[in-house]
Amino acid sequence: MAQSAIEVPPKGGFNFDLCVRNDMLTKKGVQLPSYRKTGTTIVGLVYKDGVVLGADTRATEGPIVCDKNCEKIHYMAPNIYCCGAGTAADTEAVTDMVSSQLNLHRYATGRQSRVVTALTLLKTHLFSYQGHVSAALVLGGVDVTGPHLHTIYPHGSTDSLPYATMGSGSLAAMAMFESQYREGMTREEGIHLVSEAIRSGIFNDLGSGSNVDVCVITKDKTEYLRNHMLPNPRTYVSTRGFSFAKGQTEVLSTKIKQLRERVVEVAVEGADAMEE
Amino acid sequence: MKLDSGLENSSSIFLGGCSGLEADFSAPPSFDLPITNDFDGWQKKSVQMVKPARGTTTLAFIFKEGVIVAADSRASMGGYISSQSVKKIIEINPYMLGTMAGGAADCQFWHRNLGVKCRLHELANKRRISVTGASKLLANILYSYRGMGLSVGTMIAGWDEKGPGLYYVDSEGGRLKGTRFSVGSGSPYAYGVLDNGYKFDMSIPEAAELGRRAIYHATFRDAASGGVASVYYVGPDGWKKMSGDDVGDLHYSYYPVVPSVVEQEMTEVPVA
Amino acid sequence: MSFRIFEYNGSAIVAMVGKNCFAIASDRRLGVQLQTIGTDFQKIFKIHDKLYVGLAGLATDAQTLHQRLVFRHKLYQLREERDMKPETFASLVSAILYEKRFGPYFTQPVIAGLGEDDQPFICTMDSIGAKELAKDFVVAGTASESLYGACESMYKPDMEPEELFETISQALQASVDRDCLSGWGGHVLLVTPTEVRESTLKGRMD
Repeated sequence: MAQSAIEVPPKGGFNFDLCVRNDMLTKKGVQLPSYRKTGTTIVGLVYKDGVVLGADTRATEGPIVCDKNCEKIHYMAPNIYCCGAGTAADTEAVTDMVSSQLNLHRYATGRQSRVVTALTLLKTHLFSYQGHVSAALVLGGVDVTGPHLHTIYPHGSTDSLPYATMGSGSLAAMAMFESQYREGMTREEGIHLVSEAIRSGIFNDLGSGSNVDVCVITKDKTEYLRNHMLPNPRTYVSTRGFSFAKGQTEVLSTKIKQLRERVVEVAVEGADAMEE
Repeated sequence: MKLDSGLENSSSIFLGGCSGLEADFSAPPSFDLPITNDFDGWQKKSVQMVKPARGTTTLAFIFKEGVIVAADSRASMGGYISSQSVKKIIEINPYMLGTMAGGAADCQFWHRNLGVKCRLHELANKRRISVTGASKLLANILYSYRGMGLSVGTMIAGWDEKGPGLYYVDSEGGRLKGTRFSVGSGSPYAYGVLDNGYKFDMSIPEAAELGRRAIYHATFRDAASGGVASVYYVGPDGWKKMSGDDVGDLHYSYYPVVPSVVEQEMTEVPVA
Repeated sequence: MSFRIFEYNGSAIVAMVGKNCFAIASDRRLGVQLQTIGTDFQKIFKIHDKLYVGLAGLATDAQTLHQRLVFRHKLYQLREERDMKPETFASLVSAILYEKRFGPYFTQPVIAGLGEDDQPFICTMDSIGAKELAKDFVVAGTASESLYGACESMYKPDMEPEELFETISQALQASVDRDCLSGWGGHVLLVTPTEVRESTLKGRMD
């Protein structure tokens, strides 16, 4: 590939150019902004035929709920999904990156991805950043070696468990698992217990809320049940909202630009290059 | 610094009720101090907590006919505007006004307290208190609490036997006599207009307009000032409210805008 | 002395979706903490005729980021001979911001555009590129809390362009009138498949 004449950025990796300036600002007493977090309840369990993952759908920025219906169950591979808690940008970026790596690996090997591969890729990345990439994950999937469920902590440590919870609502959710989990549950029982664990997080943990997302992975298929339960419908919406009369807002100046569709130029012999 | 440790019983008579009415008000009311080893740290934190109405523009000046007192009406907490209709000019009595900058609670409480003291002075001496005397009463109280976290920046303006009077008093214990003052975060902008337009020889409407304009310009530049520009005049017959204009409207009366005609242009975009 | 970096310059940005159209609006103030420096400051930038980005937060970073975004979009145009889809552009912004995960630009972008089949797309991010896609409205800046409240009550789905303009304008004005650090007029862009209407609003100047 030819060397680019100008420096084109997509090299990958982090860039620390602004660290010195931002550090200087912090030392001057400037408060840095808070990042979007998923103060979250995420769970997973292994049942008879596979794995069920679950998550709530609240994203927060400090005390503000900034997204009432976000997606926290991330795609890793057709047979592997991953729930993310912690700083939203980190969970999103780390799962996206590993997902691409798995995809490339599948192209190279021609085989289905394994859950341990995803696990290793995730934990090496997180370990190398010593917990600064703050992603707490519940990784679940089914591969040739059977169903697997793992938790991954921001510092890179991992666990392999039959049932797992993560995030600020993990205690509320674990209470449900500890009291109701059995080995060899059916699909319906598994989905039910996962939903109950998430609901427990939604109602008992302030950082979690809104709806229940569920993902069921078996040997042959993966079902993503987006908004499997909607336990918090909007109750206060007025049917018509507000109506503002046209021209109610006082306007100082207006500029209108008409957008015409660009006609694809076809060379016509003898025709003038004139617009209509 | 006066710290009421509770050991000196004599000074603690805020709601004691054992002595007469006169005694109740002659000594400054006192607060109980918190039980803490780190008083300075506690104070710093608590002052930060109860610090609304920091941003303000108030001004007052003496001219030929008397005194003009003007202020905005915004109360803010950090970046949030908690009110656009605060009364920052406090009517102490029919001949005297106080302005409010700094802690709203501190200003309101001590102005009310000053009003009581002025009335008691009137009853005891059968004549109204001078502006000099009133401002000194307030300054002495504030000085006795100096360094304890009060936040007051005020102007006492009024008319007494000697004519118009104007004093600046603050919680650091300062008391200044003068003819032209502005207090608050918007004061640099207000001073700009005030110093530029001030003459001693002004009619009452001219002076009121100067005060109003100074407040308007301060609200324009200062994010923490805004709402309504109210102007009071104090003359030989006491104070009178001259105007209270929403500065949202005031801007467009000072600088009228004509809505421009709709501009049109064309551009080509690729087929979606 | 302690203040939050987003409150250094002050800003309010909001985008709303209507029926086959969208609107993006911002305030016009540039301040240095409480001092108002300018009242005609641009915070919404054009990427192409049907794609706009609003940048709230620290003005110096917003302008730098805008220049980088325009640069990257031009490179894309040269290579692909077409404009970027809003979804693609959002991913680009996200990647540029996340690259600086440990030393971020202090800016919060709002992206609004018409995508394939002129379907409206709006999205916002935090300063390190965590995307938040929304179907109704997105907000950013120092007035964001007030904007959440105003939009939550004023917004209706499937508004026609005229009504969308009134709604977003009223929501913006109502919100900035409760925020010290934004306001001093408004700037609204209403984009339909056939026209772009750019308006400046008359607002309180305090």
